[in-house]
Amino acid sequence: MATLQLIDLAKRFTKKVWGVRKMDLEVADKEFIVLLGPSGCGKTTTMRMIAGLENVTRGTILLDDRDITDIAPRNRHVSMVFQNYAVWPHMTVFDNIAFSLKLAKLPHDVIKRRVRETADMVRIGELLKRLPGQLSGGQQQRVALARALAVKPKVFLLDEPLSNLDAKLRVNMRTEMKAIHQQTEATSIFVTHDQSEAMSMADRIVIMKDGKIVQIGTPDDVYFRSADMFVAGFIGTPPANFFKVLCSYDSGGIVLKHTHFKLEIDAEKYDKLKEYNRKEIILGVRPEDLLIASEDKAVFSEQILVIEPQGSHQVVALSFEGSIVKMVIPAGIKLNHGDKIGLDFNRERLHFFDKETEKRIILRQHLV
Amino acid sequence: MHRIIKRKLLRSARISSLYIIVAGIGFIIIFPMFFLFSFSFMSDYETYSEWPKPLVPSFRAEFMIDKDAEGYHLHIYNKADGAFAAFGPLFFTRAGEDLENLQKFIKRQANCAITPSGIGEQLDVVDKEGRVEFTLKKEFLANYILFFQVTRDAPAAVMRSLMVAGFTILISLSIGGMAGYAFARYYFKGKNLLKLSVLFVRMFPAVTIAIPMIIILARMGLADQPLGLSFVYSVGQISMNIWITASVFMAIPVSFEEAAMIFGTNRVGAFWHITLPLALPGLAACAMYSFIGSWNEVISAVVLTQFNPTFPVVVYKSLVGTQGQINLVTAGSVAQALPAIIFTLIIRKYILQMWGGVRV
Repeated sequence: MATLQLIDLAKRFTKKVWGVRKMDLEVADKEFIVLLGPSGCGKTTTMRMIAGLENVTRGTILLDDRDITDIAPRNRHVSMVFQNYAVWPHMTVFDNIAFSLKLAKLPHDVIKRRVRETADMVRIGELLKRLPGQLSGGQQQRVALARALAVKPKVFLLDEPLSNLDAKLRVNMRTEMKAIHQQTEATSIFVTHDQSEAMSMADRIVIMKDGKIVQIGTPDDVYFRSADMFVAGFIGTPPANFFKVLCSYDSGGIVLKHTHFKLEIDAEKYDKLKEYNRKEIILGVRPEDLLIASEDKAVFSEQILVIEPQGSHQVVALSFEGSIVKMVIPAGIKLNHGDKIGLDFNRERLHFFDKETEKRIILRQHLV
Repeated sequence: MHRIIKRKLLRSARISSLYIIVAGIGFIIIFPMFFLFSFSFMSDYETYSEWPKPLVPSFRAEFMIDKDAEGYHLHIYNKADGAFAAFGPLFFTRAGEDLENLQKFIKRQANCAITPSGIGEQLDVVDKEGRVEFTLKKEFLANYILFFQVTRDAPAAVMRSLMVAGFTILISLSIGGMAGYAFARYYFKGKNLLKLSVLFVRMFPAVTIAIPMIIILARMGLADQPLGLSFVYSVGQISMNIWITASVFMAIPVSFEEAAMIFGTNRVGAFWHITLPLALPGLAACAMYSFIGSWNEVISAVVLTQFNPTFPVVVYKSLVGTQGQINLVTAGSVAQALPAIIFTLIIRKYILQMWGGVRV
């Protein structure tokens, strides 16, 4: 039952160091928002400002249209799960979860019931009498979750909660946290630098860089309609490949000229590129949109540098013009490193970026 | 095969030599303390008349009385010589005064209690058989009791010392702890310089600042008082405590407090509910340092006290005084060391945490 609005939010640490430069965001009720970006992009700072742990330099935070910018953390109706769990080691699991309820002076039986409910929800019901030191990292994580859930917050903040878990547990917890979110329907903000985590959990992803929002959108939006080269190069495993091409347009159609290949594309579809006639633009191609082609159909051919089998698929890396181009191919194909393969592009799904601004060149027609 | 044996031999030789060296160092450290402790239970006779000194104090003393024409003669068994040696007056009679003097002498010199009539009973045997040997149990704590009787100021001095230690802990831990918390949690300009500069006060020997100190204390009206002395001790202890508590607080993640602030309390509440309980072992160890530092301190105390000396001063003066008896002084020294030792033993498991390990 909560909407959160960040209006022109900024945080300056010292004279020249900005944590967050400008942040405008509206989070709808029950939404699961993921703040994604490389380290130092201001995503954690944003979250800490929402929690009240960091003073705001400029801007406003509205929670259900109430200005909470300068309110003490405890009065904000938010709760938080910390990266290092921050489960208090001198209290039992029960006391940890009940801490806020006890401070709120709730009746004893209510506290007991609420703790039991939340503990069962995150499946630590049988650990209530233990001390955190006797729990594994994953269990401590669950305690931190239960503690945050027990207060029934308006906004649920998660600061890289999965980054300290081992890989397998992390993937499991992802699913579980999403299920818990669907159950509690609490408005959630999740901070991570792991794009696959963001993709799998988010309703909407907010991609940040250098204290600014680069793109806000659904996982599909940021993947298929990346706002700029940064997003295209950040999202996806492996991320998109870029080629610098010269765009030329004549009666025959649009031709993209690269030093090593020449690609003719449908002038109808990529109508917008006509504006870039005789200009250099950046062509972005997702790894799965690079296709193996027979010699005669190939746009260019190159030797395989490395093959990384992933089980369900393989990632093939090619050394191309001093940089590495990665493509994803099905598992069945037998290739060895050193093999020369011919490549073609999936012409339905090409991304173009302005060379100067690095922004996406928005074509008339959306390509999905 | 040979090589394995050779390697094993080499290994055991290396380990043995290491243990010998460690044991040697340990011996050098422990032996004087052991001797001090041992001395504190010895009677005057053992202390001054037996050579070489016994390593362990005896629990009883053997006496022998014989008689000749002059009267009765008292002898005591000298363990070093392995024979009875003359003890006390040249001769004595059955007169009540003589027996009373003898009782006092035995008590003072051998730490043994016997009543005049008890001596009389032994004399009866001497009359019958010509000589008697008897063994008396030594009063083990006689030196300690005597020390507190002889140095009449001692019990009051113990109280004063406890007060000084208590005040010092209170002042240095509260101020040092708060400063340590600030150093651990906040960033401010010149933080490292300030942190280093608090150590400067420890770089001056106590004696060099004792004279200015006494003038300042006199102006404050605190000269020759436990509180005044604890102020002086606190100066050094605060700087120590700042460093210790800063490392204790630094080891407690800030997020613990932040979590508490989100879950329903303010900064002060977070400190009380979360940080303080977690820091308590480290702070206790810190208190121990303050206690030992102020309880054992003697140099400043000698200068800064006059009519209200602390216990270490009393012990020190008994050592240099004209009537200094080494076994009494050792009793006083052990009595002085005891509280510090007990305090340390109680608190020893927290010492590790003092250097910044939060045990969960």
